Amino acid sequence: MHKKRLIFTLLFKDNSFYLSRNFRLQKIGNINWLSKNYNFSTIGSSIDELIILNVGVEQDLEEFIDAVNEISKHCFAPIALGGGIRSLKDAEYLFSNGADKIVINSILETDQRLVSDIISKYGSQSVIASIDYKVNDKKSEVPFIFNGKRAVDYLLKDYMHKIISMNVGEIYLNSIDRDGTGNGYDFDTVENLITDVEIPVILAGGAGNPNHLLEGLSKANIDAASTANLLNFVGDGLPKARNYLLEMDVPLADWRDDADV
Amino acid sequence: MKRIAVVNYGIGNLKSISNALSHLEQDFSFVESQENLSEYSHIILPGVGSYKVGMNLLRRKKFDSAILAEVNKGKPLLGICLGMQMLANRSSEDGETKGLALINAEVDIFSKNEVGGLKIPHVGFDTIRPISKTGIFAGFKDQVDFYFTHSYRVLCSNKSEIASESTYGIKYVSAFCKDNIIGTQFHPEKSQKNGLRLLKNFTNYC
Repeated sequence: MHKKRLIFTLLFKDNSFYLSRNFRLQKIGNINWLSKNYNFSTIGSSIDELIILNVGVEQDLEEFIDAVNEISKHCFAPIALGGGIRSLKDAEYLFSNGADKIVINSILETDQRLVSDIISKYGSQSVIASIDYKVNDKKSEVPFIFNGKRAVDYLLKDYMHKIISMNVGEIYLNSIDRDGTGNGYDFDTVENLITDVEIPVILAGGAGNPNHLLEGLSKANIDAASTANLLNFVGDGLPKARNYLLEMDVPLADWRDDADV
Repeated sequence: MKRIAVVNYGIGNLKSISNALSHLEQDFSFVESQENLSEYSHIILPGVGSYKVGMNLLRRKKFDSAILAEVNKGKPLLGICLGMQMLANRSSEDGETKGLALINAEVDIFSKNEVGGLKIPHVGFDTIRPISKTGIFAGFKDQVDFYFTHSYRVLCSNKSEIASESTYGIKYVSAFCKDNIIGTQFHPEKSQKNGLRLLKNFTNYC
């Protein structure tokens, strides 16, 4: 049976980790805060994947990678890195410094040639296409790039299918309206949107408790549920959430009986 | 004295392998030049990405003949993901590309038909069933979860060389073992404790 995935997303900027609410960033703490509140040698074994996004406008990739290294030392799960990738060199730097996959967003609209170059070098399966969107007053769904700052002149559905046709490996759908609210995922938009998507779909934006994750992972065409809610899952929040999902018969990998190595 | 060479031919993420091997306190190095391979007792051939790019890089750095020579001496070799696929005869990824032909196997994409509506690429943790609980699978349960991310898979000509099977719509080879030549479609270095155990087994029992 195909298994679903629980994903934790961290937002990094200026040597700190952030909580994002409707794409407004609130600083929570530095790497010491993170290590104290999220013990990655145990958290690592309760998530299927870790995504770390560099959300600073002024990018310091080295500083970002230092933080990634600190986390990945104890985390034996796949790690996807992204944020501000603007050249093949940026992508190469991330792949050679701990990225199993990369997450791209703005270049999907601004530089499709680069997307294609990354995919030919690293393969579709290494590229997650992140799409941020808002529902506007006219109830229409608008995709955004540049950290939610610039609207894309496409309807969300058309934009998503255009991106899928670029041969990306997965889609990461993030609702700006739900982002960081803890009110649950935006199923109104997503359910219709993804019925005929044939690549893996990661749902993001809004999960605030294990029930939200359960709702997300119970939907047929959703392959992974992500949370970036840095405050709601501190301590043993993620291990508890995973145990709950397993008890609710969500098809997730089960490592509960595995002995330490 | 066990020393592991991790072949660094310029593609893929090596950090997760070094994290895993460091955690296991193994003696290992990234080897960038084929002349140095002979100094090691075990070889790991990692890889993500395109088959054609991977094979071209291996050939350009003359790792192809060096790996062959070391394997012929009986040195254990573990190919991971693309590294596994490159041990086969050929792949149809990005046009036909010849592999190292260390095992009688072919690499082709999952067809939409055979996976019966499941998505390609196949991404995430999935169950493998070891055929025998020896070598890399020593001490494992009947069914174990490992991390996969692939669209292509290996088809072994000799059933006896299949080390584990998985099912993704269709049954396929998730690991093979032909004497000292081992390949895993999944990523042990990203597969939590099971992956660490497998890597430890590779140095201890292979």
